[in-house]
Amino acid sequence: MKIAFPHMGRLYIALSAAIRILGGEVVVPPYNNKRTLELGSLNSPEAVCFPYKLILGNYMEAIENGADALLMIDSPGICRLGQYSSSLRTTLSDLGYDVKFINFDLYKGKLKELYVKFKEATGNANPITLIKAINMAILIINMLDDIDKVLSYYRARELNPGDTDKRYYRGLREIEAALSYKKALKAKKNTIEYIKSTPIDPEKDIVTVDLVGEVYVVLDQFSNLDVEKELGRLGVHVNRQINLSDWVKSSIMPSALRFGETHEEKARKSAKSFLKRDVGGDAIESVGDVALAGKEHSADGVVHLLPFTCMPEIVAQNILPNVRSEEDIPVLSLVLDEHMGKAGYITRLEAFVDLLRRRKRKSALAAVAS
Amino acid sequence: MKIGIPRALNYYNYYPFWHGFFSELGVELVLSDRTTKSLVSSGSALVVSETCLPVKVYVGHVLNLLDKGIDVIYSPSIQSIAPKVYNCSKLRGLPDLIRNVVNKNFLLIEPTLDKSESNQGFYQYLYESVAPLGITNKKLIKQASKAGWECMNNFSVMTRAGVDVPTAMRNAINGNISFDSSQKEGMAKVAVISHGYNLFDDQVSMKMLKKLNQLDIEAYTSYNLTVEQMDQGIKNLDTLLYWANEHEMTGAAGYYLKDDNIDGLITLTAFGCGPDSLMIERITRYAKRFNKPLLNLTTDEHTGEAGFVTRIEAFTDMLIRKKRTSIVNSLKKQVVNKEEEKKLVGVE
Repeated sequence: MKIAFPHMGRLYIALSAAIRILGGEVVVPPYNNKRTLELGSLNSPEAVCFPYKLILGNYMEAIENGADALLMIDSPGICRLGQYSSSLRTTLSDLGYDVKFINFDLYKGKLKELYVKFKEATGNANPITLIKAINMAILIINMLDDIDKVLSYYRARELNPGDTDKRYYRGLREIEAALSYKKALKAKKNTIEYIKSTPIDPEKDIVTVDLVGEVYVVLDQFSNLDVEKELGRLGVHVNRQINLSDWVKSSIMPSALRFGETHEEKARKSAKSFLKRDVGGDAIESVGDVALAGKEHSADGVVHLLPFTCMPEIVAQNILPNVRSEEDIPVLSLVLDEHMGKAGYITRLEAFVDLLRRRKRKSALAAVAS
Repeated sequence: MKIGIPRALNYYNYYPFWHGFFSELGVELVLSDRTTKSLVSSGSALVVSETCLPVKVYVGHVLNLLDKGIDVIYSPSIQSIAPKVYNCSKLRGLPDLIRNVVNKNFLLIEPTLDKSESNQGFYQYLYESVAPLGITNKKLIKQASKAGWECMNNFSVMTRAGVDVPTAMRNAINGNISFDSSQKEGMAKVAVISHGYNLFDDQVSMKMLKKLNQLDIEAYTSYNLTVEQMDQGIKNLDTLLYWANEHEMTGAAGYYLKDDNIDGLITLTAFGCGPDSLMIERITRYAKRFNKPLLNLTTDEHTGEAGFVTRIEAFTDMLIRKKRTSIVNSLKKQVVNKEEEKKLVGVE
């Protein structure tokens, strides 16, 4: 069985490592590109959210490349995501494709469901290998987030634009090839070393921006037109608040194995005075993160990303102006979809960063004056 | 004691219940005025433009109530109606949204109904509904809920018998039961699939049901079906109940798609509606499989009435022509059959 799964940023590295450890055959569809989006949009309802279109495109390209089993996640109470797999299945069968669907149904359970479905996908019933594979996936997810934090620091301060990214991609290729913990940890160490060898100006006057919003568009470089890179080029140190490692911690791991407060719990607490209830998706985290950044003065501003027609984030977007004025923190909401133009997008980012710079300078002057 | 209820969103699903319940407890309900163009624009001015039309309309109604001098607004958050059956995010966060965008001084009663949580059930929801008004006697609340259900059931009995929704609502609130149906026999039967808050809001639906009536078309809606029939409908489309208001859409569509008496379906959705985008996708694909005519209409605050009417007219014309052709064909077949019979029997 040739297994494929949709893209979401660099998630493919973790998933394909897990499946390969289990002895399964992986078909990684081409990373999200214009054609993926075209194929997806053509066969999707017009008003559906942006990630749906990309995932459908991923599946179609994977099937073209020989995949015959598709992985998908089903999760209750989130948003339209819970209906993705059933709707995608209808669409693909109408298009005449005959493939097997393997759903990670989080309605049923967490780790156990992961175990049962990986077994179904790869035919490997050895529990030790399975646990090893799942561990490996989690290890890589955590590792990539750690690396991104270093990357963001160096990218904002690099002397020659593009230097850090070149080194980062070299490291990524090593991580992709790693098939054991030892090799993966080595690759991580190497990658961080590569990035740290970038010539930087540590005294550079930078601004810090928190990146919040809907998980897919925040993590996927194609959908957000690589916002972290663009901001880095403008001399911005980006702190991404939505990380896959946090999601794994709060959604996959049983609560008994968790240590300390998860990011979600923290955000929930600070969102309380604006948004009392969970409305699905990442809305409560978006609101909470903005409030937190304002309260703790941990960032100069916040960039909030959401796909067009995303229901939870529209609630958040409506609430954010209130948070912005009460906590006194600038917020830029960017709506992403297939009609997004890069030039206009960058202009808006530049204007926002200019505003943050001026604000920072002003408050520094005020501090000196007093 | 007076509380204001916006004439929008869940008003169309639950108002008879609220009326029975609150009246029993001696609370007077004040409704906002009917939707107008200026009411919609006053609502849209406060929210971001991506917000869907029904929520903009809702905000407009809240403002209308405040303008009328009502300073207690009832805005419940219906999170989930059964274990793991959730509502759309915008409906779940409705009171939060109102609290953050309407910058005026008023008391917002925001009870939560969440059947997926063990401590947020129906009686807790009712308790939260009246506790801010000083009513905390749980026995009394339980009793009042019976009055609510009585009113609600009267309403459902009437709509299921074919009484149109505004009349049934009026009767149920006045405590009458009457089965006078204004529906007259038409040239074709059409099922209109939409959420109640879109279809029965004359500004949003542009009086679609009345227009169909004028075109001599019988219109059926989800209000004419029982929950069991709509459950069957969801099964007909090979899916499970996912959204709290999925019965109105997938359920009704699934039932009517398999109903041979219905000639065609019209879906009406508001632009930017999240749940509808996937539900309509499923309905469209299955209509193709079941070979049933279907017209998808999307509306927003800019939709022009003329284009809307033209499309409905063209669709119903097509249905009537299709029906006529099939009647003529079956008549022809009968004639041919008779001639063949004659030949066989040899009578000439």
